[in-house]
Order: sequence, then structure tokens, then C-alpha cells
Amino acid sequence: MRYTKGWFLFSREVLNVKDLGTIVKIMFREKRDIYLSVLCGFIAGITAVGLFASSGYLISKSAFAPPIYTLMILVASVKLLGIISAVSRYGERYFSHRGTFTMLSNLRSSFYEKIEPLVPRVFHQYRSGDLLARIVGDIETLQNFFLLVFYPPIVTALIFVCTIFIAMFFSMEAALIIFIGFILTTIIVPALFLLRQRKFQLKVRNSRSRFSIEITEFLYGYRDLKIYQQVEGKEHQLNLSSDAYLKEQEREEIHHLFGESVNTFLSLSISFIVLGTGAYLVSEGQLDGIFLAMLVMISLTVFENVTTIAALPGHLEDNKQAAARLNKVVSYEEVQESDVGKAKLIIQSAPSLEVENLTFTFPDQSRKALSNISLRLPAGSKTAIVGPSGSGKSTLMQLIMYLYPIADGEIRINDQPYRQLNKESIWKHTNIVLQENHFFFGTIRDNLLLDAKTADDDILQVLEKVKLGHFSLDDSVLEKGENLSGGEKQRLAIARIFLKKAPLWLLDEPTSSLDAITEAEIYQHLFSLAEKDTLVLISHRLQGLEEMDQIVVMDRGRIVEMGNYHELMEMRGYFYGMKQIEKSVFTWGVT
Amino acid sequence: MLKLKEMAKKQKGNLILLGVYAFFSGASILGQAYLFATIIDGVFLKGVPFSDITTLLAGLLFVLFARTLFNYLIGKTGIKMASRVKRGLRQFLLRTYSNTTLQSSIHGQSGQKVSVLLDAVDKVDSYFSKYIPKIFQATIIPVLIFIVIFFEHVPTGVIILITAPFIPIYMVVIGFKTKDKSEEQLHKMAAFSGKFLDTLQGLTTLKLFGHSQKQKEEIRKSSLEFRDATMDVLKIAFQNSLILEFVSMLSIGLIALEVAIRMIIFQDLSFYTGFLMLILAPEFYNKLKELGSAFHTGKGSIGAANVIEEELENTFAPVTWGEEHLDEKTPPTIVLSKAGFRYGDAGFSLTNINLVIHPYENVAIVGKTGSGKTTLLHVLAGLFPLTAGKILINGNPRDMYKEEEWFGGVSYISQSPYLFSGTIAENIAVGSRHSTTMEEIEHAGEKAGIAEVVRSLADGYDTKIGEVGRGLSGGEKQRIAIARAFLKRPSVILFDEPTTGLDLYTERILQESLDELSRNATVITVAHRLHTIQRADKIMVMEDGKIITAGTHQELLNHALYKRMVSVQQGGA
Repeated sequence: MRYTKGWFLFSREVLNVKDLGTIVKIMFREKRDIYLSVLCGFIAGITAVGLFASSGYLISKSAFAPPIYTLMILVASVKLLGIISAVSRYGERYFSHRGTFTMLSNLRSSFYEKIEPLVPRVFHQYRSGDLLARIVGDIETLQNFFLLVFYPPIVTALIFVCTIFIAMFFSMEAALIIFIGFILTTIIVPALFLLRQRKFQLKVRNSRSRFSIEITEFLYGYRDLKIYQQVEGKEHQLNLSSDAYLKEQEREEIHHLFGESVNTFLSLSISFIVLGTGAYLVSEGQLDGIFLAMLVMISLTVFENVTTIAALPGHLEDNKQAAARLNKVVSYEEVQESDVGKAKLIIQSAPSLEVENLTFTFPDQSRKALSNISLRLPAGSKTAIVGPSGSGKSTLMQLIMYLYPIADGEIRINDQPYRQLNKESIWKHTNIVLQENHFFFGTIRDNLLLDAKTADDDILQVLEKVKLGHFSLDDSVLEKGENLSGGEKQRLAIARIFLKKAPLWLLDEPTSSLDAITEAEIYQHLFSLAEKDTLVLISHRLQGLEEMDQIVVMDRGRIVEMGNYHELMEMRGYFYGMKQIEKSVFTWGVT
Repeated sequence: MLKLKEMAKKQKGNLILLGVYAFFSGASILGQAYLFATIIDGVFLKGVPFSDITTLLAGLLFVLFARTLFNYLIGKTGIKMASRVKRGLRQFLLRTYSNTTLQSSIHGQSGQKVSVLLDAVDKVDSYFSKYIPKIFQATIIPVLIFIVIFFEHVPTGVIILITAPFIPIYMVVIGFKTKDKSEEQLHKMAAFSGKFLDTLQGLTTLKLFGHSQKQKEEIRKSSLEFRDATMDVLKIAFQNSLILEFVSMLSIGLIALEVAIRMIIFQDLSFYTGFLMLILAPEFYNKLKELGSAFHTGKGSIGAANVIEEELENTFAPVTWGEEHLDEKTPPTIVLSKAGFRYGDAGFSLTNINLVIHPYENVAIVGKTGSGKTTLLHVLAGLFPLTAGKILINGNPRDMYKEEEWFGGVSYISQSPYLFSGTIAENIAVGSRHSTTMEEIEHAGEKAGIAEVVRSLADGYDTKIGEVGRGLSGGEKQRIAIARAFLKRPSVILFDEPTTGLDLYTERILQESLDELSRNATVITVAHRLHTIQRADKIMVMEDGKIITAGTHQELLNHALYKRMVSVQQGGA
């Protein structure tokens, strides 16, 4: 009864593979490699069985001192089978690996294709770098779907079916025993162990994440622990959870080993039963003794294929989880994607922008990030947005950048609602600098993301303007711009937009890591380039805002004040208060 | 290199067990072959009735069981060995980190440390759980088989003696050449998946600049190029195993031929011995081939061991302490004389710091980012050791005093206090070394201005915060850190720009609490507010790890650099 239930659970779990649908589809694009590796795998396996069968037969035959030519034929066929087996094994490995790497390429392209339209919204949901790293890891897991999950059972089943068929010619009983053994060792026993294996794996994962949290706390909170004299206690606790993690790992591994051992013993026992039954049949005269060694060799060899199957449920599980996670990422907000506009924005000169009654809440939060924002940005105007951190200024900017969908309220560009417009066409006309700009592994030139051909001299001139003259275009940039300082990254991001030359500028604290003098010089270039353009700037400093047409002051998701510098100073309100505090801040120029 | 081999040698008991198990496992393989041969010989040629072989069959079943059992025991011993090594490594790493965490966290390596403690240590596993047991099996078992073969039928032994060395020789000669190449490729593989990750992370930027479509083609192309390069390397590896396969097959074939010729032409070899040879020879060559593949199993571990070794090499001298008592409730006189501190060999350093801080004095440290302000604070706090000069507390070197009594009087409030996972009450209670009552915690919360926020929470002081619980805003975190300090009532307070990045109102509230906390203590502040600086009894201006000038606000106004800085702040340029 317990087994029936277990069996039911197992089949429900294992057969529920809808998440793997995509991967199977992608996999079957490489039909040729699939067929070739299955074919080669099958030939390699079946000839190995043949090889041992015929050597068993050879030795038995030799006992009767047969004519030498019989022997020669047998020896030759043993050799031939051996060579075919080895060569096929080579082919199997070659084709299966080539297929696997092509699949990796297809998987990456396909995933990229799916996630691309969802960016950047999907990143808000999955902001952490860890998640992206896990996506890459998941794709690498799926890359092995074919190699570890899909084709081993096909090849094994083919080899068994063929072997059982051949064995039938010599002994129905042996064939039946091998068949039962096949079912037991490839399906029933692995299934039973898989169910328990999962429980162990869950425990390992839990103890690992507990340990991981504690390490993080220990390392990041070390200073506070030290000052408050808690290091020793924490270290002791860490050692305890390290032990707990180790214990769970050990248990899981031993359980896995136990499962493997049981299956090996079972396989050996099948060959034992073949021998026992065969021996009985021979002594009863129902089987020619010359076949006995052969049948035992067949059984021993064919069950060697079972070892690859034993590891299969674990791999299947990994692949399913990886596929499920990836599906979850790319299926995010598919519904909302439908209402995206198709119209293309066409503009020649500086556009006007209008924000009307805009309210925004982040998907996973209940608090409104913006409420009832209304604001006009005439063509060619220069606007600054200021406010304390957490006031919603970046959120407003990101909506003007159309990085998030507009649910409540409206933003219009040249009187056309964003909702009706194709995002890419808006971005095409916009110079954007984000708070955190991404830089890729490559050269300075690569990272400028140039569209058209631009003369090197022009590029160098721009670099000079943003005070990056000390770089050459072929200097390398490491992943995430690790070899650049915060200030260099910001200047490189500004160089990007200087080269893009679009008529709408949206800048989110573009110079927060620069010292005041460099900042002033860069702003001077920026404003002369953007003279006729529409510009919105989030500023972390209140200095130099005297020239702006409009200053928007935000606090707690609302606009609290709006006007030009002098109007705001005369009001003696929020902006004035901020200005007073800024005066008391003692900052050295940041480099 | 971290000597994995040395670590294995320390576990003598387990190694002996492995040897014994491998011996018995080999013995069962031999037993299995003998019994198979005997039974088939008996039934097939000698016509023994079935009833006579039942004992033999039972023996065979027992041997098969023993073979599985010893394999299981070998695996289990390996797992146990690995666990023990991992435990030892983690303890060792933790102890090292305890001494050096702060100093190396300057390099922003905390994330890497987490991965060393978790992943790198886990990767060492396979060396002990797989590689070592495999080595034992792949050396002891073939030797056993060889000895038996030699005793049973010398010519087969001779054939093995001639052919077998080809396998290890070939592995050494060819294997090493491809090893470098495949390692290079593995390296490329890691870099390659790194590039894919890089592209995903920068997808927003790519889209904003209209480059995302172009990138898709790029991904496909570079993946395929990568595939072709990898296949070139793999092809060589596969060819090698093909050749090995041929060598072992040829050898087995030779044995079979010799056996057959003996049986048929010379008729001086029994079926029993011939069959035995035919079962044992493949077992022998398989084990020998496994020895070659075993080297691959250990490779990942060796890489991980190198990472751990590097981590352990990064040792910095810890701060040392003594046994003398120090009154933690009274502010001490602190003197730094020609003090210096340096990270690593070429890293940033503090040089020739001379200063005197009297009890209850209010000292401000100013200077550019990177001028060494925070480092000086860490030295003063007793978190970093001096690498030159002296630090005197009440006229005595600080390392004379008891560590807990020094820290008992010190609070350090930074821009980013760390909250541990646990309740708010637990996080405040961290401030005290002794057990605290709920009243004391609430009182501290009141003083730090967090009480109102706490009251608005359903669970009050029992609300879970930190990694797993509710997130708090920057200002709220600061207030919990300040509540810790109120509980402690320190005599020396170190402030590291605690109000940076907070909004106006939050800052104003915090400042009041900080002022109250400061009333009965020596206060040393890395400052950025003009009013804080103006109030200071002493201002130290730092540049490039040195104190370039010190004095009161009035005195320093004559100093050109200081004056310029102040005027910039007061609304100029």
C-alpha cells in the first residue's frame, strides 16, 4: 500500500514535465546530433554485449577443441565487435557533446529573446545579481538535459530490448530474468530512492541557507560584533551550523551511495539468477551448456548500463527545477505586455513632455511610490528634480524614461501618450544616464555603444570633454567596469550620451561621484550641447540650479514645491530649508 | 598550495580502512570470478548435478554481497573523510577571518569570503570523497588481480606485464599535453558564462541604446565559436580514450587468443582456468583505466584548495590584548605616538600619526574620501593593530589591558550599522554584555527615538528584522544602533559620518540623540557637518594617511586648505 502511494507520487512528480517542454523543443532543433548520438550509443552498447557474449561462447567452444577455423572466425568477430564498440563510443561522445554545446547556444539565444522584451521591468522583480547568476547557472544545467537526462534512458532501453530479444533465442528464462531485472533496476528502485532523496536534499538546502545567512552576518556585521564583544559566541554558533550543514550533506551523500549500492547489488543478483537458472536448466538438460557462459557474460555486461540510469532521477529533478525557475522569470507579466503601444515616435527637434495625475506603486509593495504627479516640460526647457532620498524622484524619472509601465495617470510626449508608443522609438531619441550605469567586459570603445561610425578623433574629443582624456579607445574595461572608479564610470556614461546626440536628455544624478570643479566643467559642456533640447536632471546638490527653468521639489512621493530658483528661495519653504542644511554640510570634493 | 595530500595523510585511520576495504573488495572480485568459473565449469563440462552446486551458488551470492558492501564502505569512508576535512577547513578559515575580517573588508571582499567558506570548501569534497577512494581501488585491486592471474596462468600474467604499462605511460605522455589545453578551455568556459551574465546584467543599458538586437546575434555567434573551440579540445580527449580502449582491448584480445590456442592446439589449459582469465582480464584493465580518469575527479578540488590557501595567506596580525583592568565607565586619555598602519604590502597606509585626546574631549576628523579617516577611527577603536608607533591609554600601551574591558567602554556608530536577524529587542540587547531587562531596552529605544516606530509595529520590540525579516529604512537602522549605544553608555564614542545619506528630518532627530549620548563621553567624529566641526575642541585635517594639520576651527581658518574648504561650503562656487 505504501509503495502504491509512493509510486503514484513518483509518477505524478516525474511525468509532470511541462516545464521541460521548451527545452525539449529547443533540443529537437539538433535532430542530426540527437539521432547520431543515440545510434552510436546503441551500437557501442550492443556491440559490447556482443563482444562479451562471443568471448564467452568462444571459450566454451574452445573446450571442445573445435577446428581451428571456427576459432579464427570467433576471434575475428570478437576483435571486430571490440573495434566497432570503441569507435561507436567515440562517435557517441563526439556527437552528444557537439549537440550539447549547440543546445547551449540555442538556449541562450532563446532565453535572451524571451527576456529581452521584459527588460527592465523584470529586473525590478528580480533585482539581485544573484538571481541573474542563477539564471546563467540554470541555463548551464539545462544544457546537460540531453546528455544526462534525455538520451541515456533511450539508449539503455534500446540496448536492453535488443539484448533481451537476442537472449530469447538461447533461453526464454534468461531473457525473462533480464527483463524483470531491467524494470527493477532502471525504474522501480531508482524511483523509490528518489522520493527519499528529495527529503534529504531539502534538508541540505535548508541547512546550507541557514549557514550562508550566518556567515554573511558574521562577515558584514563583524565590526558591530567586535565592539559589542559578541564575536566568540557568534563564531561558536557558526561552527555549530557548519556542523549541521555538514551532517545533512553527509547524510544525503551516504543515502545516495546506499541507493547506488542497492542497485548494483540488484544488478549483480540478476546475473546470479541467470547463472543459477541456467545451471539448473543445463543440469536438467533443457539448455545447451555451451551457452551458459555466454548468457552470464551477456547479463553482466548489459547491466553495466544501469549505472548511468541510477543518476538520472537526480539530474531530471535539477533540470525540472531549472526549467521551472526560468519559465517563471520569462512568464512574468506577460499579460501586461499586451497593452504596449505599437506607434513609432518620430521627432526632429526637442519634444515637450507632460505628466498628468501620475500615481505609481511598485508591484511588490503596498505603499505608493508616487501620488498624483502633474508637471509640464515645454520643448527646450531645463528642469531639475530635487528632494531627499526616498522622495520618489528616481521613480518619477524612471517613468519618464518609460522603464516601467504607466498604470495610473498619463505621460505624453509631443501630445502623444506613452502608452500608444513603442518604447524603443522613445529611447532612440533620448539621452539617458541612470544612477547605476552598466559597463561591459570589453574596451572603452565597446562601452560607448556607438551606433553609427564615428571618427576616432571625435570620440577622443568627447572623452577629453568629460575628463577621460587619459584613456585610449582600446583600453580594456572589466566586467561591470570594475577597473573604473565611480567618477570614471559616471563620466563614461556621460560620454556615451554626448556621442548619441538625441534631443531629450534624462539624467538621474549623473555626477554624484564627481568633485565640484569637474562637475561644473562637465555641466558646462552638457548644457551647451543640450542648449536647444529638453532636459530633466535629478540633482544631488542644490548648487548651480539658478539657471534651471524649473525646479521640482519632491518629498514622500509628492511634488511639494515647483518654480525657478529665485521663486523657491523667496517662498522660504522646503527648498529653502534644504538649502540651509546643505550650507552646513562639510564635504570635501569627492574624487 | 594547500596540501590536500598532507591533509589526507593526517587521517591515518580512514586511510587504513580504505586500504582494508579495497583489499576485500578486490578479494570479492576474485571470489566472484572463481565461483563463476567453477560453477560454469561444473555444470557445463563436468556435468555436476544442480544440487551439488547450491553451496557454490550461495557462496557466490555472498561474494556478490561482499563486493557491493565493501564498495559501499569505501564510498562511506571517503564521505566521512571529506566531512572531517571540510569541518577543519571551515574552523580554520573562521578563525583566520575573525582576526582579519575588518582589515580585508577594506578591499570589499566580504562577498568573496562567503563564497570561499561555502563553495570553495564544498568543492574540496570530491578530492576526499571520490579521488582518494578511487586511487585506493585502482591501485590495490589490479595488483591483487594481477597476482592471482600470475599464479593461475603465467603466460596471461606475462601479457599483462608487457601491455599494462602502456596505459599509464600513454596517460602520462599524452594526457599531460591535453590536460593543459583542456584546463585552458575550462577557464575560457568560466569566462564565457561570465560574459553571458554580463550581457544580461547590462540589458537595460543595451536596450536604452538600441543595441539589444545586435547582442542576440553576438550571443549566438560567440556560443557557436566557443562550441567549436571546445570540441577541438574534447576531440583530442575522446581520441585518447579511444586509443586507451584499443590498447586494453588489444591486450584482452591477446589474452583470449593465447588462452584459446592453449586450449585447442596445445590442449594444456583447462576450461576453468581459461574462463577465469577471461573474466579477470577485463576487470584488471577497467580498474587501470579508472586510475587515469580518477585524476580528473580531483582537479576541481585542487583549484578550490588553491583559493582557500590564498585566503589563508592573506593573514594580518591581530590586535593583541593583556590582563590589566581598565575602568570602562571613565573616559581615558588616548595618545597616539608616531603611529602607523598599513594594509598588506602595497596597500593604503596611515603614517606618523601623533595625537592626544583628553577625557571628554570632542574631536573631529576631516578630509577627503580615501584620506584615511575611517582607518584612523578603526585604529582608535582597537579594531586594527598598529604596524608602527604606539597607542597609549592612560599612559600605558593599550595591549596591556583586557580586551573586553576596553570594548566595554567603546561605541562605534557608522553609516551602515549591521542588523542581525532576530527581533528588534535582540538587536538592541547586543549593546550589553550582560543580560538586559525589557525596561532597559525600551528605555534605550526611547532615548534613540525608535520607540515611536516600534509602537507602530504589530509585534513591537518582537518584530523580526535583519536578513530574514522586515526591512528597515536607513534612519531606523541608525536609531537601533544608537539604542545599542544607549544601553552600553560608552565612555568613548566613535562616529563615522553617521547621518550621511539621510533626509533632513531624520537627521535632525538623530542629531539630538547623538548629542545626548555624547554628553558623558569622549567623542571622536569623522565629520561632514559644519556645525559639528565648529563645536569640536580639536579638528584634525587628514590627507593621504597623514594628519596635515590640527587645531580649533578658529585656529585652522588660517590654514589655506581648510579655509578654502570652509568657504566652498558656505555657499561659494
